Amino acid sequence: MIEMDELLRLLQDGNTRTIEQLAAELQTTEADVRRQLEFLEHIGAIRRVYNSCGTCKSCSGGACKSCMPQNAELNMGELWEVVK
Amino acid sequence: MSAATIALLGQPNSGKSTLFNALTGLRQHVGNWPGKTVEKKEGSFSWQGQDYEVADLPGSYSMSANSDEEVITRDFISSGKADVVCILADSSQLERSLFMLADYAGISVPCFLILNMADVAKEQGKRIDPKVIEEKLGIPVMLFSATDTKAYETFYQTMERAIREKSQLNVKALEQEYEKLDGYSELCAELSDADLAGFTPMWLTVKAMEQDKVVTAKLRNTLSSDAIRTMETLVKQSQGAIGTGGCKFAWIDGILDGAVTETKTKATLGKLDRIYTHKFWGKPAVVLTVLLGLLASFIPALPIMGIGAAWAMLKEPARAGLTAIHCPDIVSGLICDVGIQSIYYVINMLGFVFGVTLVFGLLEEIGIMARISYVFDNTMGKLGLQGKSVMPFLVSFGCTMGGAAGARVIDNWGQKVLTIALAWAVPCGAAWAIIPMLSTVFFGAWAPVIIVAILLTMLLHMWITAKIFSRGLVKQEDRCGMIMELPPYHKPKWGALLRYVFGRTKDTFFRVLKVVLLVSVVFWLLSYSTSGVESSFLYKIGVAIEPFTKLFGMPWQLFVAFIASSFGKEGAVGVIGALYSTGGSLYDITANGAAIEDINQILLANVTRPEALAFIFAITFNLPCIVALAATYQEIHSVKWTAKIAAYYTVTALILACIAYHIGLLIW
Repeated sequence: MIEMDELLRLLQDGNTRTIEQLAAELQTTEADVRRQLEFLEHIGAIRRVYNSCGTCKSCSGGACKSCMPQNAELNMGELWEVVK
Repeated sequence: MSAATIALLGQPNSGKSTLFNALTGLRQHVGNWPGKTVEKKEGSFSWQGQDYEVADLPGSYSMSANSDEEVITRDFISSGKADVVCILADSSQLERSLFMLADYAGISVPCFLILNMADVAKEQGKRIDPKVIEEKLGIPVMLFSATDTKAYETFYQTMERAIREKSQLNVKALEQEYEKLDGYSELCAELSDADLAGFTPMWLTVKAMEQDKVVTAKLRNTLSSDAIRTMETLVKQSQGAIGTGGCKFAWIDGILDGAVTETKTKATLGKLDRIYTHKFWGKPAVVLTVLLGLLASFIPALPIMGIGAAWAMLKEPARAGLTAIHCPDIVSGLICDVGIQSIYYVINMLGFVFGVTLVFGLLEEIGIMARISYVFDNTMGKLGLQGKSVMPFLVSFGCTMGGAAGARVIDNWGQKVLTIALAWAVPCGAAWAIIPMLSTVFFGAWAPVIIVAILLTMLLHMWITAKIFSRGLVKQEDRCGMIMELPPYHKPKWGALLRYVFGRTKDTFFRVLKVVLLVSVVFWLLSYSTSGVESSFLYKIGVAIEPFTKLFGMPWQLFVAFIASSFGKEGAVGVIGALYSTGGSLYDITANGAAIEDINQILLANVTRPEALAFIFAITFNLPCIVALAATYQEIHSVKWTAKIAAYYTVTALILACIAYHIGLLIW
């Protein structure tokens, strides 16, 4: 169990990290990082980023047939960012 | 009259519905919770001659009042309608899913714990000892698989034991965690007399610290004004939900300590991911992947170019045929020099559109694109950008307009402007169609080298542009990090991929064809003259500006094409098609008077390699197109910055052309 403050601090330093890297840096398990991300998302401290090209109506939810192959957003990994 | 009412409580995907359906069978009714769009499922079952009511509470993450589901759940439990609450947790990820139990702790309705999906946990190599957990929690705990019909007898017995014993959760260890929090003990003492049935002071204190709206409002109604003030001060000084959440996780870890043994070894990064996420090798690996991807795009492109070549052979027979039927010169010229020639270029471009879309679609499908985006994400920070900027860049490979619009997800204005400014440097889909085509025409087998040079120039361009523009746009404190979960690699779904590639190629075909034909007709007419090409309007202007255009290594025809490319890169091809065509137009005169059959031959006879190189760099890094310009203005709402970016790109494109020309002169 790591202090969640520490995790939040890491998330604000301007770098992108994978969950594996966060776990290694905080000396904990990936499962621990994942549950804390889930928690932080629920309390509104971080939010998921949905990418879309924004040019067509169909891609507001992330999927856009003409910009990416179908369901491609699922292959792009999940992104979160800290809510300021 | 039923013996007892059981409420099923659990996070989404904890297997609650499976359990509910198995328990009640057909004896269930589904409706809505009053005033809410949340589904209400109730039912009943009999066991050993007794009837039991079951309520399937909506799946929710916790007991906080963040959503309708959570409020309904909490209200139902505190109303006292349930005699016992059956809390479900996912055995395969207990450290996560026991959060509901931790959040329930402090509610006085009796409960028991079902560790569901035991089969999944077993498959993962986890061995769970429910007895250890039961001892620590003080409530009945059982391992369970809702899908296993034989397990239900034990379920009934566990349930019956909980009802009989009115089993209460032992929260001592959790309270000890909470006591470590600043202000907890004081607040708890303050709330010890608060009269909210069903909730212990501990639970209320924690919810107050988490600034739970419903609980706070209820407390305000029961407390004295002094107590309210104390509560508000203490809550403000506390760490809030982050502090209490940490306590809950620590408590869960304590519960699981000694109860779960994992035989499976720790998952490690795959070989490929170890390279991509490497501090030093990550970047070269990604650049190499993109390069190989672009080079691989040539493979599917070449057969399509063959079709283009076959099409071009129609030109002379068509002209001969039209002359034979005494077709006016201008009409046969339009059909052969404009029509057939434009389509020839469009077919050749399509080859690369097809190739690039296929290769990059494939990289995306198998999960490599996510790694590419990850590596660029990290570099973004150093350029003063957010990781989110990487998506607009990737989209810009297809269309800069999409990239500019995609920058909408960036809330910070300065970072948004910078992102769009950099996205312009990314050659768009039209550029990726034209550059390889022109490169193949002028440089043959060396075309891939040109592609590599373009890509490296792009990276350098973006780096320099970021340095120039980031001053005044981005502040250090605006930077923030990102978390990225890389997806596992998997096999591509070929059907969906090919549908997308063909769809996109088809869309591009019609769009490009329209532009190329239109521009081609306009410029062909401008250069058309019955009394010899020298007397045409365009020729006169062209010759007049040539001393200037030669500074950037471009003959006037190519310079005009460069100007046209500002409106749309395809336009450049239209201009070339019109100005370098056989038959009554500009160039069969200069090429020793001999009729040249092959369209490529005309280009080669009239444009030197350094000039071609200058032109390729000029149009690639010119402003993307007029629509992208408009989209940029729409996103950043600043005429000043839009104009700045546009002027910057026109100037840098010409500088790059000049450099490319001189490098070309050294080589050839």
